Order: sequence, then C-alpha cells, then structure tokens
Amino acid sequence: MVRKQNQSPETEASLFLIEFLEVAITSIVFLKGIYPIGAFERRRYMNLVVHSARHPKLHRYIHDSLIELVSYFQQGMVERVAVIFFNAAKIPIEKFMFKINMNRSHGAIMEDGALESSLRAFLIKLSQSEPLSKTSSQEWKWEIAAYFRSLPSDNGDRWIRTQALQWQQPPLITPIKSMKADPFSVQLYIEHPDLLEPI
Amino acid sequence: MSSDSSHSAKSASNSKRSFNSTNSNQSGANSFSKNKKERVGDSGQKTLGMAWGSGSRSSSRSSFRSSPFTDFGSYMEVKNRKLHEQFDAEASISSHGGSGSKKPVFHGVSIYVDGYTVPSSQELRGYMLKHGGRFENYFSRQRVTHIICSNLPNSKVKNLRSFSCGLPVVKPTWVLDCVVADKLLNWAPYQLDQLASETNNQPKLSAILGLRSNLVACDPANAPLTSDINISEVGDSAEDIKQPNQEYEAFEHDICDEAKDKEPSCSNKCENEVEETNERRRCSDIQSITQTLSMISGSSNKGHSTSFDPNFVETYFKNSRLHFIGTWRNRYRKRFPSSSRPSSSSSASSTCHRNTIIHIDMDCFFVSVVIRNRPGLWDKPVVVCHSDNPRGTSEISSANYPARDHGVRAGLFVRDAKACCPHLVIVPYDFEAYEEVADQFYSILHKHCNKVQAMSCDEAILDITDLDVDDPQVLASLIRKEIFDTTRCTASVGISNNILMARLATKSAKPNGQCYLPPEKVNDFLKQLPIKALPGIGRALEEKLKGRHVKTCGELRMISKESLQKDFGPKTSDMLWNHCRGIDNRLVGIIQESKSVGAEVNWGVRFKDSKDSQVFLLSLCKEVSLRLHGCGARGRTFTLKLKKRKTDEEPVKYMGCGDCDNLCHSLTVPMATDDVDVLKRITKQLFSQFHIDVKEIRGVGLHVTKLESADSVKHGNEKSSLRSWLASASPSKEKENKDHKLVNILHIVDTKNQIGGSHHHQPRSNADVGNILSNQEANHSSDVPPLSDLDSDVLEKLPPEIFSEINDIYSGKLSNFMSKHKLDSNGVGTSSILPEYVEGVAAESEPGIISENTAASSSQYIDMMPSASSHIDPSIIQELPEEIKNGITNLFPAHSAPQIRSHDHLVDQVKPTDHSSSHQLWVGNSPQWVEKFKSSDSQILRFFSDMYSGVGSTHRLSSVLLKSFSANEACLGGKTTECDDTVRCLCQLLKDYVDLELESDLEEIHTCFRLLQRLSGRSKFLLQVYNTTLPHLQTAMRENYGGSLRV
Repeated sequence: MVRKQNQSPETEASLFLIEFLEVAITSIVFLKGIYPIGAFERRRYMNLVVHSARHPKLHRYIHDSLIELVSYFQQGMVERVAVIFFNAAKIPIEKFMFKINMNRSHGAIMEDGALESSLRAFLIKLSQSEPLSKTSSQEWKWEIAAYFRSLPSDNGDRWIRTQALQWQQPPLITPIKSMKADPFSVQLYIEHPDLLEPI
Repeated sequence: MSSDSSHSAKSASNSKRSFNSTNSNQSGANSFSKNKKERVGDSGQKTLGMAWGSGSRSSSRSSFRSSPFTDFGSYMEVKNRKLHEQFDAEASISSHGGSGSKKPVFHGVSIYVDGYTVPSSQELRGYMLKHGGRFENYFSRQRVTHIICSNLPNSKVKNLRSFSCGLPVVKPTWVLDCVVADKLLNWAPYQLDQLASETNNQPKLSAILGLRSNLVACDPANAPLTSDINISEVGDSAEDIKQPNQEYEAFEHDICDEAKDKEPSCSNKCENEVEETNERRRCSDIQSITQTLSMISGSSNKGHSTSFDPNFVETYFKNSRLHFIGTWRNRYRKRFPSSSRPSSSSSASSTCHRNTIIHIDMDCFFVSVVIRNRPGLWDKPVVVCHSDNPRGTSEISSANYPARDHGVRAGLFVRDAKACCPHLVIVPYDFEAYEEVADQFYSILHKHCNKVQAMSCDEAILDITDLDVDDPQVLASLIRKEIFDTTRCTASVGISNNILMARLATKSAKPNGQCYLPPEKVNDFLKQLPIKALPGIGRALEEKLKGRHVKTCGELRMISKESLQKDFGPKTSDMLWNHCRGIDNRLVGIIQESKSVGAEVNWGVRFKDSKDSQVFLLSLCKEVSLRLHGCGARGRTFTLKLKKRKTDEEPVKYMGCGDCDNLCHSLTVPMATDDVDVLKRITKQLFSQFHIDVKEIRGVGLHVTKLESADSVKHGNEKSSLRSWLASASPSKEKENKDHKLVNILHIVDTKNQIGGSHHHQPRSNADVGNILSNQEANHSSDVPPLSDLDSDVLEKLPPEIFSEINDIYSGKLSNFMSKHKLDSNGVGTSSILPEYVEGVAAESEPGIISENTAASSSQYIDMMPSASSHIDPSIIQELPEEIKNGITNLFPAHSAPQIRSHDHLVDQVKPTDHSSSHQLWVGNSPQWVEKFKSSDSQILRFFSDMYSGVGSTHRLSSVLLKSFSANEACLGGKTTECDDTVRCLCQLLKDYVDLELESDLEEIHTCFRLLQRLSGRSKFLLQVYNTTLPHLQTAMRENYGGSLRV
C-alpha cells in the first residue's frame, strides 16, 4: 500500500484497487495449481498471508496488465476484470470475474479500515471457496481480460486480443464474494460453461 | 586410594589441605563427611562395567543416600570412599611430616596399578603413601594420572585408548627412580616398551566431535582429559596476533607463509628476533588442543594442568599458546588500562629531542617459565611441545638456548629434534604460569616507567625519554635483575633511540644480555646487518633483494628511494628505506584496537560428512562468539576461510593441513552482532556458498571484522527501541517481537473498541466514525493499526512518554486526532460525518438510484454501525436539521431504529416518501414490509416479520432466512392452504430484494436463494415462492451478468 501524497482520489483508489486485484489474481492462479507451488512465495498483505509469484515473468504479467488498467479504472470504464482459464483448444473452462464498480462520486479512501477489512474478508473467502480448491490440469492456460463499459477511445494497438474463445451459451454463475465499500465495490464470481456448451 | 584426588591434582592438593584443617577442627567430623558426600557425588567416578552406568550424578547421589546398596554402582561408590578414607588415614601417619616446605615427590600423582608388577602393587602403594601420592584401587578417568604396569595383553595394546583413556602407561621402575631421585622424573623414558613402538592410534576429528556432546553435557570439572587427542586450535587469526606490533604486518605475513610451507625457519646463526617471533607463529600449526576443550571446559583445563605441579608435565595440555597470547592482551588491558591509551604527551619529534627507548624481551619465554622452578633444567636443552608422543610427530613450539645450540628449533618434529639432541627434555605448556609471569613482568615494567607499550605477553617497549635517567643501561640492568629475582626468568634488553633499533639491539643482546646502541653507533651496526634481520623482511622480500645482490642493510642503502619504489611499491619501499637507515618514527604507547576477531583451525580437520562439518562450524561459531564477548566487540563482516587440500595424499605432519588452496567468502550484515545464533546462520550460509566436498577441507577459519564496541551498540539499540522497528522493513521475526511491544498498547485500544463484535475492525464507536479523517498514512504502514482503530479514551490515559512515542509513529497525527476527539466528545461529533453522506445522496437525482444507493450505503455502513445506536443520544438527533435526521434514520440499522423511535417520535414520522413504489417494500430503515407483514393475517408473514426483528445486526434477507431455518418448523410447514396473497407478498418481497441487491451483491442474493431452496424442502409454501421467484432471478441475472446463477 505505497501511495504518494497529492494524488487525486480516483488515482489513489485505482492504485489501491489494482494492488488488491494483483493479490487476488495471484491467489487465484496459485490456488488453481496451474504452476508448481514453488513458483509462489508467501507474503503478507493487509496482515494476511497471501501468495506472490516468484517467477518474474508471471509476476510482471499480472502486475503490468493491471497497471495498464489504472487510467481506465479512474475513468470508471472497466466493468469487469476476468481471469480466464482455457484448455489447449482455447475453450474457456472457467472464468473468474471481478465485477468492479468504482464509486467516483466518493472521495478519498476512508481511513477507518472498513475498506481494508472488506478486502481482507474478500481474500479470506477467496482462499476458501470451493471452486478454487479444485485443482486444475497443468495444461491449462490462463489470461487476464478486461471488460469495458464502452470502447476505449485511445490507441487500441496496445491491446492484445484475448486468446480464449467465446462460449455459445450463457454461462453458469457461481458467486464467490461480494464486497461493497467506498470508493469501489468488487464482486467475484465464477463463470462456468453451460451444461449445453459443447466442449 | 584417596578420597580427595577426586577432581584433579590441583584441587586434590587443595582439598587435602582443607581436609587436614577440618580434621583439627571441632566440627570436623560433620563437615568432613559432608564434603565427602559432595566429592563422591561430583566425581562421577568411572569404575567398571555396570558401575559406569550408575555413575551419573543424580543416580549416584540418590543411591548413596539409600544406604543398603541398591545396585553395584552405589556399592562401588561406598567402597571407593572407604578405601580413600583408609588411604588418607594411613597417609597421615606414614608421610614424613618434617618436610613442610618441600612438596612431597608424588604430590598430585595418582597411580593405578594394572596387573602384575615388580615391585608389587602393595609396595607401590606404600611409596605413594610415603611420598604424598595417591593410589587408586579402581581405575577412574578423573582421578588417576598414571597407569603403572609391566606388561599389557595384546588386546589392550591394540586398543590403548579405551584402556588408558589417554593417560600415560608407565613401568613401575619410574616410581622407584622418582623416589631415588627425590623428584618427579619425566615418565616418557619409562613408557611401556610395547607402547613406544605403537604407531597409529590417533583418532580422527570425528571421534572427538562425537565426544564433544558428552563433554558439553557433563560438568566441566568432570570432563575427561582427552590429552592425546589432538585437535589443533589455532588460536587467533593471524591478524589478531598481529595486533601488538601491527607495524610489522608484512613481516609477519611472511612468517605465516613460511609456517604454511612447513619449511624449517631460517637458520640464522644468531638467535635473532625473527626466530623468536617465528616460533610464536609456528605454533599455529602445532597447537594440540581440542577446540572444544579449550572453550567448553575451561575450568577443567585449569584443574588438570595445574601449574605448580611438575607432575602434570606429562599430561597433555589442552590449550593453545596462540590462544593464550590472544587472550592475554585482553587480560593485560584490564590490568593496566592506562597503558592501552596512547599517551598524549609523547613527544613526536625525534630530532629535537633525543628519545631513549628500551625494548625488553624475555628469553625463550615459553620454555623458561615452565622450567623456572627447576634450576636443574636451566642448562639442559628443553623444548616446549604439546605432546611427547613416542612417534615424535608433534612439532616443537619453543626451544631454550641450550636446545638451540643443538640445532633444535621451533617447528621441528620432536622426532628430528631428538635425533639432533638425544637428551632433549620436553615439557608441555603451563598457561597459568605464563599468565603469572607475564603479570609479574608487566608489574615491574610499570613500576619503573609509565610509558609502556605491550608487544606481547613477554615483550614490551619502554619510553624512558621523559624519565630523568643518567644512564639507561643502569636502569635496564636494574629492571632485568628485578625480573629475574621475581620470576626466575631472564630477559634481554636493547636500548636505542627508536623502537626499531631497540628491537634490533635486543636481538644481538640475547640471551640474557643487554645492548645499548647509541645513535652514533647505529650506522655501523646496520652496515653489516643482514637485511633479513629487519622486521618486515621475510623470505619473499629477501629473495627479491637477493636478486639485486642486496644482503646487508649497507647494500640496501645504496639503492635510491625511487628505484625501491619502482620495484616494491610505495609502502614497502618506504619501510625498506627507513629501516635500513635505522629510522623509525613510531611512538611508544600506541596500541591499535583489534580490527578482527576470529578463530581458525587448520589442524586435525577431517570431516566425514556434512554433518561433521556442521557440528564443527557450530562450535567454531561458539568460540568466535565467546571471543567477541571477551573483547567486548561486535562485528559486521564475517569471513569464512576454508583450506582445501591440493592433493589426495595425507600431509607429512600428522593431521596437518598440508598443501592447500585457501578459499574464502565473506558477508556483511547491517547490524553488528556477537550473537551465536546469528553467527551460526551466517556461517552456514557462507559455508554453503563454497560448494565444496567436506572431505577436502583441511582447515576452517571464521573471522569477524568491522568491529564495533559492544557497549555503544547496546546503547544505540536502546535508544532506537520502538522507532527503529517501525521505521525499518524488518524481517518477520523482528517484526513479531516489536509487534508485541506496541500492539500491547494498541490492543487495549482495540479491545475497547470491540463491543461484542466478532469482526476484526468492524465495530466503531461514533467518535471513530466521525473521525474518518483523510489520514492516508495510517493505512499504509500495515504494522500500525489505523488511527481510527485507536480508542481515544485509552490514549488519553496513556502516560505522556508512551503517548508521544505513539504520536511519533503516526507522525504527529495522533495529537490532531486527540484534539479532534475532544471536540467530538462534546456532543457535536456523533453526527459529524453524516451530513457529508446526505450530501452525497442529494447529488443523485434519480429516485430509483437513490433507493438503491441508500440500501447499498446502509449495508455498507452496517458493519460499523451496530454499536452505534446505543451511543446515539436522541436528544441530539432531535436538535438536528431535518435532512440530517433523515440521513441518520436511513443509515441506522433497522433493529436500532425502534430504539431511536422509542426515544423520539419525530424520527418515526420522518419517512421517505419520494421513492418509486417498485421497491417500496425495502425502503426505510425498518423496511416497510416488516410493518406490513406484522399487521398481516398470514402466520408466515408475521413469522418473517418477527424473524426480521429478531436478527441481530443486519437487516439482510439472508440472515432472516437463516434464522428461520433454525426456528420452529411448525410455522413454516403448517398450513398448505396459504392464500395466494401471501405467496404473492413474499414473492414481491424477494423480487424487490433481487432487483435491489443483485447488481451490487450477488453473493447475498445467491445465499438467499440457496437458503430458500433448502427451506422449500420443508415447506410447500416456500417451494411455491421459490419456483415463482427463480425465473425472475435468472432473468435479472442475464440482464446484469450475462449468465444464469447456479443455485
């Protein structure tokens, strides 16, 4: 939680958010067991034991992807951030959706710790939710994707096409955790392919 | 057998004396038997077989008390005690009491006779009785000093160590000859013939390491003498030794090189100082003491190697001379603290004022001290050596002048030395005597002169310039005489105008002489002096100069300074140029602080596996840590040196290091330390960096540099106690420690806050809510609880010091916080944030959003509010403006609303009226449906309404459902014929709830429907509700989330 003074409340909230997302996404990747356990190391975040990626590439991927989103978070354009797991055929098997709602009318991050405790509760729930404890095959791949409310106006060449294909049917949704706080609310749910979905 | 030889010879003699005196005392009998008990218990006597097992302290004590012998061990104990008493009684009669001044011949000797001997064991016992010795009927490692036997079975010869435990095994004629000579003779010539030819019986290091744990466990006084187990203990690091005369670093470095090369030291005709020094360095390879023994059982060492007792010459000693020299410095400093300070008054310029320097050096100190009380040996060739092993593979560490005349020098193997000089007498070290003599030596020097610079334990420099002395030679001879009278050791003196020349003069004065070198004679003296005699010129430099045909100082003077600089670099050339002209500007009295502390073992290092090496490293760390403590220093840089053998062949010198590569790794830590555990960790880390096969290691050294004084470090620590840990991102361990400290305070704060709340930080008092300051830092430093977590009441009560410390941690914000709180507590504060919130609501214009927002916000505050209602003073609310009151009522959890209402009807009347009807059921603090259902005819609806009031802190539907789960089933399941209206009502309630919450709290909706699903298993009515609402939910899900909820 290293933030500078004199930042606009939005920037501050966004940075806070991506920091949290980084931890949450790393936890998901860790819990899914795509990588060997040795690829992670234990860290402390908000007084919780979390895992952080040791491999520089992995760490950088998560970190840089989220950093890129900061300005969009500030504008409130990002609706969802997804961690998509897909198989060799690029068919998504599981999507972890972070539904984010920035409350831009709200000012700075409250210092009463309400946000912090909410986020902490979030991470605790995350690490104990059932779908996450199911380990996956190591052949899976994953990516971070962002869903926008509207197309970003700026240069689109920085964006990479998602590798995963779309599902034909609407997915089944399993909520994991919802957290409401100022200046942002985060909900995490998992999307699984509908039973009718051809895989 | 005597009772009081139980510890060692020295304590034996002491206890004997005390024993006699107590006997003459009135209360003698009592205290005597008490003593005895203790002694017997302490001795942990090793006798035979089973007795050994019961020999441990506790068991022997307890068994002793229960008088009928419980086992063999206790029987043996009592028997031994009785035998001792008998022996003492007889001894007091038979010993010739007339020789009070002279010690009896066998004083301190305790023999054990093994097998058949001529003369018989009884006769030997008689001799012992008569001449003050001891006689043990049963072998005990602790009491026996000599084993007497004439013949040994083959098995015992093969396994001598287990039989003798390292004690000398001597022929009975030794006893007879001693009696005839009326003095204790060296037992070496009387060693059993069978053993003299014994070749390999020396254990590997691992054997000793195995022993080590036992050693640690037992009382140091009982630690067995492992005398001929030789682990070298190389004492201090070279640097450490260098300290006294650190100007001569280069010179000594060369010496060290020489020692490594195993070359005999330079065969200078004159016994010059180089050789003296050389000797001293030499022993770095020769030390014979197990490191463990020297550090673990320091007390036992003293006990066993009793200084005054010549009987113990045979006992292999267990300390290192280098270690002695190293520790002597500390001792000296403590004794003469003033001298370690550089004297400020020393006149710097040697030109304007003629200095007179006396360099005084004891003659072959290590030998002469040992033999000072044995004038018979003074003109005999004597050497000091750690071990008089029959194989003769130990190296001589110091030889006296008669021995040097035979060509015996330090560093020679005893075997070779004996070849040069068959009558060579070998004596062991006697560290207590060294200490004593060194102290006497310095006392005398300090008496005569106030400017004394200690070079070593036996060598010092005096500056007598300021003394009003007519003839320095007279003073010198006076000092020398006094030294001899006091210590019975001789000293040589060199007098000149600077340190260098004084030292050179001493060399020519040796032995036992003095040499005055007035400045006018210096030139002539130097002219013919071989360059090698100059300090700082070792073999390498000598060879180099030889290449330039320079052999004497005179020849060296011919070379220009520039030319020297080109060849040798600035420092060495300066040194050469000055020294060959007899120029030396050093001042007397300046002692350098230690720059490094360390320990190095280059002898006997043979590791079997990594476990061995780890054990060894740990003990090395312990030793280094002890030395650091001894110097009162802590270090930051740690260097681990390893010697890796170059060839597979075992070196000539037994267990020596041979030809080795020197490897080293070092590590610097931010905090100076002398902690064993830290050292261990660092050492392990360093060791792992080498990636070396432990079998290849021949030497290990650990050195600590960048020393800081322990006192200052400690002081600094205290100063920065609380702050330092907060400021630094310290390792977790440290963090935990510190957490305890502050968090204790903060915990008080916290617990006050937690009014029945099970959450971490949830429950807040009003004041806290009001103080949601825009204080960003508090959140950052994750160690410190946010400012708002602190209870101001507690903070107020804190002592001012602690408050200011905490205030510092919060970088001053705390006092702001406090002053604010004071304002708040005046009564205004309860609502201070609420206006802000209401403003937020007002900004939103669309009614639908408002209601949603309200719900969202209230649920968001829910976590903080529960305890709040009780804090609210209704009278204050009454005073508030209308819209603020609205905000408050909306904000407060439903369950607390009635409370407010009961106090204030105004609030009750204020109901939101401007919301669209679609979500009306959920509007309000106590949602409308609660009232509506309450007044309903339907039992179920009333039930839900009751449930709602019953749930604690939240007004969530999931909690209501969860509660109804555990509630009486009858209400739910009862009538199947509920009217459609009831179903419709409930469905509407749920649908509204879904519309309200789905967007923002999927989890809550999910929980509700899961619960409903489970409840529907019990109640058809609820099943109906569930089935009706589910499609609505899924539609809403698709709209909001683009998928269907898995229920």
